[in-house]
Amino acid sequence: MFLHNFKYELKMVLRQREFIMWLMLFPIVLGTLFKVAFGSVYSNTDLFQSIPVAVVNTSGDEVYKQMFTALGEGDDATLSITYTDEEEAKELLFAGKVKGIIVNDGGLYLQVSGKGIRQSILQEVVSRCNLYRTVVMQAIADGDIPLMNSVIAELSKDVKACRDVSPTADNPDVYVQYFYNLIAMVAICGSLTGLHVATSSQANQSELGARKNFSPTPKFTHLSAALLGSCVAQGVSMILCVTFLRFVLRINFGGNLLLIYAAAVMSGVLGVTLGFFVGSIGRLKYEIKSAIMLSCSMVLCFLSGLMMGNIKGILAEKAPWINRINPVAIISDSFYCLNMYSDYRRFITKIVAMAIYIGVFTVLGVLLSRRKKYASL
Amino acid sequence: MKPTVVKIDNLVKRYGELVALDHFSLEIKEGEIFGLLGPNGSGKTTTINCLLSLLAYDKGEIEVFGKEMTPVSYDTKSQIGVIMQNVAVIDELSVRENIDYFCGLYVLDKAKRKECVDWAIGFVGLEDFENFRPKKLSGGLLRRLNIACGIAHKPRLIILDEPTVAVDPQSRNRILEGIQQLNREGATVIYTSHYMEEVEQICTRIAIMDKGRKVAEGTKDELKSMIRNTESVTIEILELPEDVRAKIASQPHVYETEYDGNKLTVRCSGGRHNLIRILGVLQEAELGFGRVYSELPTLNDVFLEITGTALRDSKE
Repeated sequence: MFLHNFKYELKMVLRQREFIMWLMLFPIVLGTLFKVAFGSVYSNTDLFQSIPVAVVNTSGDEVYKQMFTALGEGDDATLSITYTDEEEAKELLFAGKVKGIIVNDGGLYLQVSGKGIRQSILQEVVSRCNLYRTVVMQAIADGDIPLMNSVIAELSKDVKACRDVSPTADNPDVYVQYFYNLIAMVAICGSLTGLHVATSSQANQSELGARKNFSPTPKFTHLSAALLGSCVAQGVSMILCVTFLRFVLRINFGGNLLLIYAAAVMSGVLGVTLGFFVGSIGRLKYEIKSAIMLSCSMVLCFLSGLMMGNIKGILAEKAPWINRINPVAIISDSFYCLNMYSDYRRFITKIVAMAIYIGVFTVLGVLLSRRKKYASL
Repeated sequence: MKPTVVKIDNLVKRYGELVALDHFSLEIKEGEIFGLLGPNGSGKTTTINCLLSLLAYDKGEIEVFGKEMTPVSYDTKSQIGVIMQNVAVIDELSVRENIDYFCGLYVLDKAKRKECVDWAIGFVGLEDFENFRPKKLSGGLLRRLNIACGIAHKPRLIILDEPTVAVDPQSRNRILEGIQQLNREGATVIYTSHYMEEVEQICTRIAIMDKGRKVAEGTKDELKSMIRNTESVTIEILELPEDVRAKIASQPHVYETEYDGNKLTVRCSGGRHNLIRILGVLQEAELGFGRVYSELPTLNDVFLEITGTALRDSKE
């Protein structure tokens, strides 16, 4: 009896228009839009990548060549150097293929075609090279090779101080927060399936509920099969959502993908049980309850920063309790904690909060739905 | 004597101040097609909901198959099939899946269930629509699916709550024939409707309800014999002098005349040659007339005479 119910509940949920729209298509569309919207931001992250520069050596000075070799070596090289003549260097500069031209005619000077951080870095490099050249030339004149080598090493070390250093365990990208909120929203949209479970099991809320109630199948069997079916369907949609974001849109959620999947599935279950609880309250029809539920979900998502990134920070300052009880914020925070902190203490706190919500919503929902007879239909 | 399938005793159901069922009692025997006839709001659906233990009631007792009916009477419930007034099917499932799902709530054995589903699909004539979703079906086909979902497990007691509302005449006839066939195959049927023609056509016994009360009960003939009217003669006539109307009213067995300027209706109680006598009066007065027809009393006449209002004029 249970398996029969479960099989059909799963089929029903997976074929529901709301399910397909809100839990399958919506994250794909919104996730893609986010990716497009933040694409330019992501492309600017090459700020700390090698700066393309043309070097024109008219003096044949080998000391500078050694310095540039040091600056242009390795994966995290500061400069990406093209050795060329003056004419070609200008062509590269005007074509935007290099950010500046460093001319060595006994001393170094820089030619640039605009202003910017990269040009400033190049200016700094040129100034330092000129400074160190004086020291190196003096060391050569004195025959002090160790001093010369240490100056070159120092030059290289100084410039590498501009490295992109992560203060956290994994990906500190602020924009990934939007994708956490998106996953949280998909989870909360799962409340629609929970809502359907509740209304379709109550004789005073739907004809289907009446039909189930006068059948010889105990109500608890209907409810448990329907809830489990919805949770499984929701779990699948959450896994697909995370997979799409991670592997199609290539959003970097950090290292522990397995825990992200686990948190996503759990948040989906939270969404279903929230809907089940709300659906068990009162006598309103499914259509009205789903409209209320969707509106509430949007408000919760707004408060967790889906539409306005800094709202969560404002709330943390003005009314921190809202973030603590907002299930959407708890869900997105769980991903954030997993990504930002190297220990799991905060992540576990969020998971426990979710588990408490799931337990409370399920128990209250079952208590409200368990009635056998109705005062009116 | 056939065993009692349903026994409702002194049932009272109130919605606040409104008394929906007022000391309502009923006894239905095995093999009957029992009609519950009454206008909208008379208490038919409330009776059914109480009988199915969906609705809490204030007073009274309900027994089905000799056992008290409660929400956990699963054995009893497994022998009942219900076709509700509104279609209750699942939009996301196909015709076959819908029937299989609802049948599965009653029949656990897979092989037996498949047999039942095949039988139900054939019974309502949905063979060509097995894989259709409900939204692709017309109103009539949807009603048939609703019926198939209610009867697939071959119940001993079938309750149909106004199953033909908003159904085209062709589908309606098919549904009514189907109910009679189920009855011939051994099912006891409770049929509620406010369409008196349907109830007259298929029911072996009828209870007429009004304002939560049972106002009459019996076979068609028994009900009709309860009222004074045995024949209504209607004559299309454009001019009817008052003296001629008075002469018609004074004929034997005539107890009421009604004239609306176009049509004269004469109601008679008993007698064999009422029509001939009435036409004789008109010929004697040399009055021309159009179509003439004589009707035997209907359940509407029964309802009209008992409650003072026509069945279809009654409001909730």
